Amino acid sequence: MHPLPYHRPTSLEAALELKASLPGARFIAGGTDVMVRLKGGAPRPSALISLRGIAELTRSEVAQSARLGAAASVADLLAIDALREGWPVLADAMNQMASPQIRSSATLGGNLCNAAPCADSAPALLVHGARVVLRGPQGERVLALEEFFAEPGVTRMGADELLMSIDVDPPEPGLQTTFLKKKRVAMDIAIASVAAGLVMNDGICTHVRFAAGSVAPVPMRLPATEAALCGHPPTDARIAEARRIAEEEVSPITDIRGGADYRRRIIGVYVERATRALAARFEGSE
Amino acid sequence: MEVRFTLNGREVSCSLVGSELLLDVLRGPLGHRGTKEGCGKGECGACTVQVDGHPFNACLLPAAEVEGRAVTTIEGLAPAPGELSPEQQAFVEAGGIQCGFCTPGMIMASKALLDADPDPADADIRHALVGNLCRCTGYAQIIESVRRAAALRGEGS
Amino acid sequence: MTYMGTSPTRPDAAAKATGRAEYISDAVRPGMLHGAIRFSEHAHARILRIDTSKAERIPGVRAVITAENTPEVRLGFLRDNLALKKGKVRQFRDEIAAVAAIDPDIAAEAAAAIEVEYEPLPAVFDPIEALAEGAPLVHDVDPRGRPVTSNLMPVHFRHFSGDVEKARAASAYVAEGEWSTPLIQQTCMGTAGCIAEFDPQMNLTVWAKTQIPFLAQRDFNGALAQMGLRNKNARVIVPALGGGFGTGLDTHCYEYISILLAWKTGKPVKVQYNRDQEFAYLSPRQSATVRMAQGCDRDGRLTFRHVHVVQDNGAYGSWGATYPSVMLLPATSLYRVPNIYFDCELVYTNNTYAQAMRGYGNPELTFALESNLDQLAEEAGIDAAQLRLINCNEPNEVTPMGLKVATCGLRECLEQTAERLDWDNKRGAPDGTARGVGMASLIHVGGSGRIYRSDASGVILRFDDWGNLYLSSGGVEMGQGLHSSLQIVAADAIGVAPDRVFINQTDTSTCPWDVGTHASRGAFTACNALLMGATKLRDKVFRAAVELYPQLVEEALRKQRKRDPDAPAPSFDWRSRIDADAFDLREGQVFLSNTDDPVLRVDLGKLIRAAHFRDGGGQMFTVEAFYDPPSELPDWEQGQGNMSACYTFGTQGVEVEVDTDTGDVRILKMAAVLDVGKVINPQILRGQTIGALAQGVGYALYEEVKTERGRILNPNFTDYKIPTAVEMDFPIELEFVETDEPTGPYGAKGIGEPGLVPTAPAIANAIADAVGVRIHDLPITPEKLLAALRAKNEEAT
Repeated sequence: MHPLPYHRPTSLEAALELKASLPGARFIAGGTDVMVRLKGGAPRPSALISLRGIAELTRSEVAQSARLGAAASVADLLAIDALREGWPVLADAMNQMASPQIRSSATLGGNLCNAAPCADSAPALLVHGARVVLRGPQGERVLALEEFFAEPGVTRMGADELLMSIDVDPPEPGLQTTFLKKKRVAMDIAIASVAAGLVMNDGICTHVRFAAGSVAPVPMRLPATEAALCGHPPTDARIAEARRIAEEEVSPITDIRGGADYRRRIIGVYVERATRALAARFEGSE
Repeated sequence: MEVRFTLNGREVSCSLVGSELLLDVLRGPLGHRGTKEGCGKGECGACTVQVDGHPFNACLLPAAEVEGRAVTTIEGLAPAPGELSPEQQAFVEAGGIQCGFCTPGMIMASKALLDADPDPADADIRHALVGNLCRCTGYAQIIESVRRAAALRGEGS
Repeated sequence: MTYMGTSPTRPDAAAKATGRAEYISDAVRPGMLHGAIRFSEHAHARILRIDTSKAERIPGVRAVITAENTPEVRLGFLRDNLALKKGKVRQFRDEIAAVAAIDPDIAAEAAAAIEVEYEPLPAVFDPIEALAEGAPLVHDVDPRGRPVTSNLMPVHFRHFSGDVEKARAASAYVAEGEWSTPLIQQTCMGTAGCIAEFDPQMNLTVWAKTQIPFLAQRDFNGALAQMGLRNKNARVIVPALGGGFGTGLDTHCYEYISILLAWKTGKPVKVQYNRDQEFAYLSPRQSATVRMAQGCDRDGRLTFRHVHVVQDNGAYGSWGATYPSVMLLPATSLYRVPNIYFDCELVYTNNTYAQAMRGYGNPELTFALESNLDQLAEEAGIDAAQLRLINCNEPNEVTPMGLKVATCGLRECLEQTAERLDWDNKRGAPDGTARGVGMASLIHVGGSGRIYRSDASGVILRFDDWGNLYLSSGGVEMGQGLHSSLQIVAADAIGVAPDRVFINQTDTSTCPWDVGTHASRGAFTACNALLMGATKLRDKVFRAAVELYPQLVEEALRKQRKRDPDAPAPSFDWRSRIDADAFDLREGQVFLSNTDDPVLRVDLGKLIRAAHFRDGGGQMFTVEAFYDPPSELPDWEQGQGNMSACYTFGTQGVEVEVDTDTGDVRILKMAAVLDVGKVINPQILRGQTIGALAQGVGYALYEEVKTERGRILNPNFTDYKIPTAVEMDFPIELEFVETDEPTGPYGAKGIGEPGLVPTAPAIANAIADAVGVRIHDLPITPEKLLAALRAKNEEAT
């Protein structure tokens, strides 16, 4: 592959200015997707603008809530104890992303900006109601992650904007979470994935979150599935109903990794398994 | 554009047009062909190097990103001529090497794991090597090599 | 024996561990150019026009070649393929043009800038459809220009023995079915490539990623002749191989293209495939469909076996088209069967043409055979392990194909596998879990496989003046450990330390002829040749010792007396006439076998120097030996002939757990018991066996080159999945049965391929035991299995 002009600004302002002055240039963070696509013959941008040298983008603050730098590597994020302890489902999803080598390079922002239906971090972040902070010439704006994805490979970020950070609120008190990913071998893109969050009080599901990957044009919440359980005890009948609804709620396609029917089926199984596993965690405490 | 970094403990510099990948710079102008290209897409790990101690796929990493950083390749492990590092020694002794094409990357990924976790459980080793494909060994003797490397490193310290 | 059965460090290990081994991707020649190939964009089309003008104008381009401006170079054992295609393309990977340029990026850019106009032709992708009347013909004419009327390839492998129809009618139980196996890729970690370079006299050197340096030399010399370069020679040098697995069994269009580019430019030209190209443009393992029926009597004795194979060969003939030569082994000779029918059809299609891969037809056939055998056991109400034991091959039998089985450890393999799996308790256990056990066995050539008139290996042994042994063999080290086996056998057979055995790089200019490293034959034939050479070399040393030994001992004694005047004199009279056969050589020291007096031990290097520099005519210590195994080239139309000097047997057993909600199969445990004759290096044997087994796991569960109308859809590791370390996370109990094969070097049999042969059927049988569902087409993906489970449940309700 012939090399492209490569810029490595060290401030946000410089990055935005470069983007404005270089028509057809593209931002690049970890490069684990961009480089693969360029090698595969994707249209070549006029230049690449690296975001990895910008401290504002690689810095994360994690305490009661979390502000995760969009250009922080997944490995750096996984090294934050407070993140692993506070939002274990996100850590679990990130830990299942590809390989240690890829996690050293890949960024959370890149994982989201690719807007791939299979982005591993997305379902976990959706379960936590994450927001994305965008910055452009007009300043900053905040979008719910659910609003961020438009269609496969396309976000609602403006051409002159970049993703600053991913913001996550403190988890609901008592929240239990899990992430289930269907893959062919251990190092694989998700064929279907489910992240789930549950709070139970007095045997009743009082807070339910499901999000799924690889089963719709973009990573998605499953509100109807959530509604089927919320306010109810997780009885066999309720779980079966949630499972049925989940299978209807997703809209997978058939590709060489898996058939639509199979993916639908897996989503149902995972919704059931996640619900049972999370409900079981409340059994001892009540 | 010029990139300067530490390669196996020595300062090096190399001129770049732009987005040249670290792997191509290492294998080309810097003449370090021990790092292999197995897939060019971050799927096989044959090109694994350490950058500031972390494992990276050199096939996806623009060389410009290692400015000022410390890069370690397979050529940088042996402590002295005729000697091997504990990781290399372990792979040689425990039968972790067959065709050898995955070996440099496998050893670099193992070293990165052991640098972070000196005494990993089997499952941790397998998880850490998930991005390093081998078609010859079925991995059994590779896992044993990593365990042996952990032991050799323990003896050495 | 000191080193047989031990694991000294393999000679290539340190170079590989330090990144210093040189693979083809690392090789560079002064002034080298880089080649890139323009491949077809159609599965079947007439080439109307090729415009290379844009490519030629790109700075840095040194040559652009097509069939129009180069001599025709024909290749393949059927001569049905051209290095650069003329007239029409028959598959997506057909080579239309090629470029040589000063760097790989420019070469790729120029190859892409070539404009090709096509007229698409009707294409055929399914071998059954290809055999139908009126199907588009992949080849309209044969290599001699005579019209062709069918897509059936002109290759025949058959076997008929006994009376199958009569036996079928008389059988108490019969089971039959159809099984299919996919196109899969060898996925060597080091991708394919070569460098071609002409010297000023127009002799050619090719650095090739090959397993057949001498047949490649023959092929390349043929190309030189076709290019009008008469009385010129091709030399083939084999760099470190990043895996072979059959990819290097034939010569490839890219090699001839690099030769043509080197010829055109006068510079060395390298063609190096990257991973995507390796997937898309290298020949994979052929897909096959096998119809199989077997029957038995009331006591479980097999009565007949009926086998019909259809293989999708793809567009050109390569060794994939000869898989049935090895399919004949299990079809006729795995377990005792008196009546056998075997026939096959090899069909040209517009798919990618197939080539060799480890096991060579045996895994395809054994998948059907062993799956079908479990069905028969169920039909007959006989335990599946018992059925196999009832029909087990035994030592000293001649099979219907005429295979002369001398040693055979199959019974022990079956029994050990059953024991290690806790078969009696676990098989068919209605324990409420979706766990099950299964097993399958194998027969494979263990003493090379004669598929060519010579099945030989040569060896040249040379001692230098310091007692170092230099060994030249035509066999290829591709990671399997051939060089370690040679080192071990040389150390024991000749009497030098393993680290004093240096193995020369495989090079047709310095190494003796060898038919190639395939058919699990490398160590078997090369070590047998080595044993013959060892006898000659030792004899040479001892004959020199007859003359020189007394004076060398005399010198040693003089030195000893200087150091220690009171040293006792040797009890043996070294000055007397000693016969050559009284000497021994061990660890580089020559001594008399009837005394262990240290002062009577002479350093081999000293003896050699004394012989070398002797007054009145010295000598050298170089010998050659040539071993051709005691086997026959079979009559393929009759399926008769003892194709190997001996046969390797084995059994694998698997315990699996099926997730009935997702279709996921988890392997809980495997047992692999293999009759290896004798263990040469246990560590390498273990690596080879587990490595093959991992390939078997991938074959069984997920590996598949997916195509759509001839186009490969998953040419990358993103979507072609091979096992990672996590998939191989289950205990493997390995056991090697030593039957001490008389034809084997120190009793050893070939073991390169067997490890993956029975893996898939063992897994399929375990799944059937676990959940009562049998998958007939590999790979057994969760999706397929889940669909089958649901179909079964629907049937039940």
